[in-house]
Amino acid sequence: MKVKVFRFHPGMEKPRYDTFMIEPTQGKTVLTALFEAQSRYDDSLAFRYSCRGAVCGTCAMLINRVPRLACRTQLGSLVAGNLDLPLSHYVLPLLSEPWDKREEILVEPLPNLPVIKDLIVDMETFFTCYRAIEPVFRPGDPDPEKERLMTPETVRELERYTTCILCAACFAACPVNGKNPRYMGPAALAKLYRFRIDPREQQGAARLSSADRPDGWWACEFQTNCRRVCPKGVPPDMAIGHARQELKKIKKDRDSGRKEP
Amino acid sequence: MARPPVHDYDVIIIGGGLTGLRAALQISRADLSCAILSKVHPLRSHSVAAQGGMNASLRNVPGSRGAIDSWERHAYDTIKGSDYLADQNSVVLMCKEAAATVIELEHMGTVWSRLENGKIAQRPFGGAGFPRTCYAADRTGHNILHTLYEQVTDKKIPVYEEFFVTSLVIDSGQCTGCTALEIMTGTVHGFCAKATLMATGGFGRIFSRSTNAIINTGDGQALAIQAGAFLKDMEFVQFHPTSLKGTNILISEAARGEGGILINRNGERFMTRYAPQSVDLAPRDVVARAIEQEIVAGRGFDGGCVHLDLRHLGEERIRERLPGIRLIAIDFAGVDPITEPIPVQPGQHYSMGGIGVGIEGRSGLPGLYAAGECACVSVHGANRLGGNSLLETVVFGRLVADSIIRDVRSEPVPASEPVLSAMKEMEEKINGILGRSGGEPLFPIIDSLKETMDTKFGIFREGSIMVKGLGEIYKLRERLGNITISDKNRAANQALIRYLELEYMFPVAEAVALGAIMRKESRGSHTRMDYPARDDDHFLNHTIASRQNEEIAITYAPVTLGMFTPEERVY
Repeated sequence: MKVKVFRFHPGMEKPRYDTFMIEPTQGKTVLTALFEAQSRYDDSLAFRYSCRGAVCGTCAMLINRVPRLACRTQLGSLVAGNLDLPLSHYVLPLLSEPWDKREEILVEPLPNLPVIKDLIVDMETFFTCYRAIEPVFRPGDPDPEKERLMTPETVRELERYTTCILCAACFAACPVNGKNPRYMGPAALAKLYRFRIDPREQQGAARLSSADRPDGWWACEFQTNCRRVCPKGVPPDMAIGHARQELKKIKKDRDSGRKEP
Repeated sequence: MARPPVHDYDVIIIGGGLTGLRAALQISRADLSCAILSKVHPLRSHSVAAQGGMNASLRNVPGSRGAIDSWERHAYDTIKGSDYLADQNSVVLMCKEAAATVIELEHMGTVWSRLENGKIAQRPFGGAGFPRTCYAADRTGHNILHTLYEQVTDKKIPVYEEFFVTSLVIDSGQCTGCTALEIMTGTVHGFCAKATLMATGGFGRIFSRSTNAIINTGDGQALAIQAGAFLKDMEFVQFHPTSLKGTNILISEAARGEGGILINRNGERFMTRYAPQSVDLAPRDVVARAIEQEIVAGRGFDGGCVHLDLRHLGEERIRERLPGIRLIAIDFAGVDPITEPIPVQPGQHYSMGGIGVGIEGRSGLPGLYAAGECACVSVHGANRLGGNSLLETVVFGRLVADSIIRDVRSEPVPASEPVLSAMKEMEEKINGILGRSGGEPLFPIIDSLKETMDTKFGIFREGSIMVKGLGEIYKLRERLGNITISDKNRAANQALIRYLELEYMFPVAEAVALGAIMRKESRGSHTRMDYPARDDDHFLNHTIASRQNEEIAITYAPVTLGMFTPEERVY
């Protein structure tokens, strides 16, 4: 099987695509295919990796024009069309490389982030957004001697968002991130919402304020690509929707409060 | 010419997993300057993959017949599990600190799974007399790592991400920093520090069948022994009983803690024969040996595996308690545990041995400290219990930082000349490696070394086979100098990083091999076909590996005993 890989490093005039012949044995993942290409054909091929078990979030890349974890994506399933995933309003800035979906797998770096080399992107923009939402637990009261109590139902609500592995697949799939480089993006907003709904914080809607700006909660267009590509099933669109409702309600209450004498 | 990039801190921490992050927090609270260096982004550290949980005698869940848990019982289980090789003072310290450590993480925001009454949930784990393991579903490491990274981010502690440490700097017998290659640019940096903490994790990837992340190549252990510190108990390598067939991705012990059972091809629950009392929840060394024996006896399934059956737990419990395991089984084996058993086989999982340190985390080399999996403070001895590794990382991450805080206040600022000359040396070394041509490729040598470790130093070991294995390690090492990397660029040259990792893998493999050959007994994870019994008269001792000229020499040091007298392990 042909695996067609985006190649670029500083000094090259423009990117090119290299094609590697890889045996698509059962269960073989894109990450394994890249290791094969690197060890057998070209040791200059660069891509990030770590856990190879879809838990660390390192190896997100654009596979057949969809952001996915390379370690979780199997060659066989791609070719069989089992992983086809339509994305909404998704305009890719990369080369319009001809690509025969029936017999080739196309592997490119995540869009919306600058390429360092080949499949490695600079994640700084993504983590700047992460830091901007002040992602740290701020308890509402002094630490008790034991744990603060929490119901299993609350844990289930929080787990919807705490399972995020910060792989940036959502950031790369988001059409708003594609056109607005200042948009904080789905992962950071979902993370912020996780703190908002943590009953141990007791900050109320004030916790939402670090993203209460045009490039925060309000930039989302609800195309829901984020949720579709998330390897962990996190729904950032849902967090954004809830946050907006809450902020709108507060503003409405405040406005109507002002009218009263 | 631009000034060489040299950075000064009171403390540098090599490794950004749980130990490194926890230590950094502690050091920053003491108003000392510190930085974390990691070859990956901290959130990509292998800590993230820990599934099952963290042991602490919180007493949130009663034991059988209403028995009450305590740190003493936790210590007893840990020491018995270690086959009495653990240092009992270290174990006692860890177990006493455990409850406060779980609570501390809760106070930092970790979302632990909860009981109906709102307290932190606990579940049974292998080799433990109580339901003692606190957990966050089956993503405990992920949850804690993200919590600690949030804290480190909040404190604005500098993190040198994707910096690969290339050497420790020694000045008059004292470790005064390190050199590191900035992977994405290829620039060599120097770090000057009063104290250096090694927190680099295990060395599982010197084996081919490992549950570990691909990055776990034993860099810290190799750097330490090369710089003059010693390694301890390196032959004690844990093989996890249940890694997914083929990919060897971890299937947590929590699966059996929740009630999962192991089945051979005859449909037999074979663990009843090997561990009549604990059955599937016997310690890992016992279960791994049992599975291997079933496979060798022809009672395994095709491809060398047995089945882990969760179906009787029911869909709801699997979705609630083991969601990550379910996804892994679906993604990587095409099996949904709700309807089908999971094919599993033993795989290398954990390094009980490591950089030898005292209870305060000081290594044999002044200025160098170590904690977590890369270290051996000896809380796991010859076999680690599930749920104790996450505990060790956070407890000793904090405690080693306290030692460092005490020690560095009286240390002078180190001289920068040794760091500068080490940088120059490293620059020349890298140019030398990239300058080679016409030699042999890198990757087959990595594969051969891993294959040797798997086949000659696996679950069942035998003297003559291991001696052959050691010979293979030496022969492969001779070929290092002949390896040619085609990519001649300095920036983001992953082949170069893999080459440097391979250099680290050799002393680590050699220490494992020598320790295993010379320990003529069976204890915990170290099983000798030719010496099947434990031999307390000769080997109730730690193995000490240190560098003597170009060779590794083995000596022994006594185990610190205490409240528990060694006895036969029955489960």
